[in-house]
Amino acid sequence: MSSAFQFYVTTLLIYAGVDILAAWGLNLQFGTAGLLSFAFIVFQAAGAYTAGVLALGPQTDNGGYQHYIGGYALPFPIPILAAMAVGAVIAVPIGLIALRRLRSDYQAVALLVVSIIASSIATNETELFNGAAGISLVPHPLADQFGGDLLTYQWFYVGFTAAVCLVAYLIVHRVTHSPLGRAFRAMRDNEQAASALAKDITGLRLLAFAIGGALGALSGAILVLFIGTWAPSAWLYPETFVLLAAIIVGGTNNSLGTVVGVLLVPIGFAEGSRFLPEIGHPGLIDAGQWIAIGLMLLIFLWFRPQGILPERKHRYANDGRLVTVLDELAGWLRRSLALIQRSSR
Amino acid sequence: MAASLVGSNPKILSLNSVASATGLRTATVLQAQDIWRDFGGVIAVAGATINVPRGRITGLIGPNGAGKSTLVNIISGAIKPRSGVITFEGVDITAEAAHRIAHRGLVRTFQLSSEFGRLTVLENLLVAAPHQVGESLIGAVLGKRYWQNQEAALVHQARELLIRFGMSAKEEEYAENLSGGQRRLVEIMRALMAKPKLLLLDEPLAGVNPSLGQEILGYLEALRDDGLTMLMIEHDLAAVERVCNPVIVMAQGKVLAQGTLNDLRNQQEVLDAYFIG
Repeated sequence: MSSAFQFYVTTLLIYAGVDILAAWGLNLQFGTAGLLSFAFIVFQAAGAYTAGVLALGPQTDNGGYQHYIGGYALPFPIPILAAMAVGAVIAVPIGLIALRRLRSDYQAVALLVVSIIASSIATNETELFNGAAGISLVPHPLADQFGGDLLTYQWFYVGFTAAVCLVAYLIVHRVTHSPLGRAFRAMRDNEQAASALAKDITGLRLLAFAIGGALGALSGAILVLFIGTWAPSAWLYPETFVLLAAIIVGGTNNSLGTVVGVLLVPIGFAEGSRFLPEIGHPGLIDAGQWIAIGLMLLIFLWFRPQGILPERKHRYANDGRLVTVLDELAGWLRRSLALIQRSSR
Repeated sequence: MAASLVGSNPKILSLNSVASATGLRTATVLQAQDIWRDFGGVIAVAGATINVPRGRITGLIGPNGAGKSTLVNIISGAIKPRSGVITFEGVDITAEAAHRIAHRGLVRTFQLSSEFGRLTVLENLLVAAPHQVGESLIGAVLGKRYWQNQEAALVHQARELLIRFGMSAKEEEYAENLSGGQRRLVEIMRALMAKPKLLLLDEPLAGVNPSLGQEILGYLEALRDDGLTMLMIEHDLAAVERVCNPVIVMAQGKVLAQGTLNDLRNQQEVLDAYFIG
């Protein structure tokens, strides 16, 4: 494999990991808890910015050409952990504004508005966020350990992203397959009834928002520490819709379905279009990408709203244990073997 | 039937017996006093006062628009009254949020089926159980080992209820795929899983075929005999006559009368407002 191709593959894998983390966060909010989180990009952007400014040195570095909060040159992994904390914490004010009193359709509108306001502030506030230029020259974590061997570093970062994804998957799985996940789904299906059964709806909404927000922030942090730059124009609300499309196509409230959706929508479409021949005026292919994603979303909403891998039914064994995918697989193998044995007699 | 339902919901009895042993039990479980509520100038409840006696099924009847459902919504905390006081087991719950009121043991069902459609029947029951250790973030992240024992006990309890209500075959069915009558049963079972001290039933027989309706009434009688207190809104007067005593009549947001259905049939005011129309 040539070095250039390895650079391409590793970058693609890291982007896929970042999108998967983000989509799991959004899926927890939207697919599991039923919150139309149109402000999701705000969590990602906040996490990315936090990690960036905590990893960067003081503003006077590099000739003082950029302004930002922080600049503490904190060592890895503190900027990432702090980003997650910020993602969870900002979920509270955003949630209290948008989720506390409003009906779900108005919640969606309120969150969209929050997203637009946040990006407008970031774009126009030059002292805190450096305006539209954003921040750059964010140091890569642990890069000094690799002595300038960029390709090895790329592979290291792939491994790191994969490890983070694995830990995130285990946490998301534990939440969605616990009584807490069940309470989230009950709230999603019927808020009023859940409230009448002693479920604190505001508390559950904020919790789902905070967990998803922390995951979104984590994804943003991993991305910004990899690419080294952050600008408000790259974190606009349409990005949330791409993730939403990935979740709907892959299967809402199914973590593996979300992975399939991410590989198909943001990764598959973006990379697929790269190999298309140049047609029409410059930018036509990019516009076509959005149209194609939109059409795909519509097709799934019409013909397969449950997505490619639908939400799994939660079954319980005789001893009251939740049946896992492995249990189901083992049962399927047993039945298949029995069938083969019968037919061979 | 009575004995079997006691087994499925021991907390009801244990709570009542504890209260009884300590002398805390009063004859009235719930009091709603001088409740007022309007919607954009239209008065839905106009100074209604009701008392719900312990261990009985109190009927709440009245013509459409009488304010019965609004009153139940107010009692359960879904909407707040403009004025008036609600006390449940001697505690003022007027300003409390719906989930806090439910936490105290005042549990309700809804006029329109309110099942959790994409949860299985068994999950609909499990989610209703109070004090689940796996419902906190820490509990969930700590994993199955932390909450599995409690969960297994709840699954056992829920399966017992499913057997009593003849719904075992539907355990793994999504609630959205059930018939109207089956959804009603799920709602009642779900409310029982919440360990109620007082169960508010908003038209539990609406949309249910007559034979299942009779079955549901049998279950309610058995629960009453187990010591559960209920307040039931119902339009089917034969059903009310069978299980409810006392019966409260509402019209135009006010309580017109209270008594047995036979007594009420002889009151001209009630006849004018309800039985005649």
